[in-house]
Amino acid sequence: MAYGFEAKNNNGKVIINDTIENLHFIGKATRTSSSSGHGTISGYSGSNNSLDGRVLHTYTITCSGTPVAFIKPVDYDRWHGIVKQSVSNTTWTFEVIISGTSTSNPPVLYCFVNADDIPVPSGETHGMIVFKSDGSSKTFDSRRQPLAITGGGTAVAPSDPTNTSGTPGTSTGHSWNYATNDHDFRSSNRYNANSDSSVNVSNAMFSCPSLAQAVYKRQMHGHKRSCGQYGCCCQDHYSTAAWWVMYRSAFRLRNGNFDAGWTVYVSGYSFSSVAEDGGWFGGGGGSWSSGSMPYTAKTINLQSNAYIIADSSRYD
Amino acid sequence: MSYGLSVFKADGSLGFSTADVTWQTVAQFTVSANATVANTYSEIAGMTVIAQRQLVNVPPNAQEDYVPNVTISNNSQTITVAPQSGLTSSQCIIHVLAQDA
Repeated sequence: MAYGFEAKNNNGKVIINDTIENLHFIGKATRTSSSSGHGTISGYSGSNNSLDGRVLHTYTITCSGTPVAFIKPVDYDRWHGIVKQSVSNTTWTFEVIISGTSTSNPPVLYCFVNADDIPVPSGETHGMIVFKSDGSSKTFDSRRQPLAITGGGTAVAPSDPTNTSGTPGTSTGHSWNYATNDHDFRSSNRYNANSDSSVNVSNAMFSCPSLAQAVYKRQMHGHKRSCGQYGCCCQDHYSTAAWWVMYRSAFRLRNGNFDAGWTVYVSGYSFSSVAEDGGWFGGGGGSWSSGSMPYTAKTINLQSNAYIIADSSRYD
Repeated sequence: MSYGLSVFKADGSLGFSTADVTWQTVAQFTVSANATVANTYSEIAGMTVIAQRQLVNVPPNAQEDYVPNVTISNNSQTITVAPQSGLTSSQCIIHVLAQDA
């Protein structure tokens, strides 16, 4: 820079000048609703029906800029992620997912925007502002709690979200009406750890939107042939059982680590049983399902995303 | 800290210190669905650069919403956002950060 103000840290890195934007604290978003579920596969009560569960908390905040939201966990053992961010006029809505089924201990959402998008009360006349070269827009305003990003990097969840490794597929040859799940759809053992000395479990908060989604499905086909006396008049009976789980990537803070993993978003189970009509054994059967898969089983958006860490206590 | 800038809150507690900062926001912009955008920031030439992506206004459970790819090139100065090959992309907020490694 030819003139103006420049501040560097101890390592000589430029932190403030007339070109580098600084985010500033706009406030904590307001939690408006919560829902929980999927501690088990919805609609199924047999073997391997356990899931990790999830809570969805919805938050809103009104501001003129585009906020960067940080999640400050209250329960650091749980997985967190922002799975949806939307805006209507100047009101932003965030949907935050947390593993587990308890709606207690919701996280706090700290929001930051550019210096120009921060309203400054008229009474606050002291401080330091750094302007851009246009002389009017700002990069820094000490009156509105500038954000200090203390750690960060990139993170991605492992490709397989389920504790039972491998993609659960479709199998045939089961007995008619067989419906016993053999795949552990929980995600508790599936994560990638990223070493980061800035992470603690007292004041640390993070920003890392959940990008990756996955739908995993296990399906079993059953069959039985029934025949009358002397092998005549045979009929075929068919059944299909299917279990599916949709996941979103989620994150956990541990001392010295930023973990990227998964948690369940929705789940479902379907079963159908069909016997050929007529003949000795009559028709019948039927089918039902709990929910429908959002899309065919696959993983999408499994890409590294930037995460950043900050100290929430500076903004309390 | 031996030098730099600290900002204290009205109660005397520390609110901001350049000594704590490890990553710096460079820019934040929104890319429309299916768009390709390339922005160049000369001030971050040679730095370590990362980009955070957040999809906007898309349902997370009813359809396949694809995030655009981000490419960092030109000695870390140029951030290019484009749909994944053969896929549509959803509206996305890009938050560019740099570290003077």
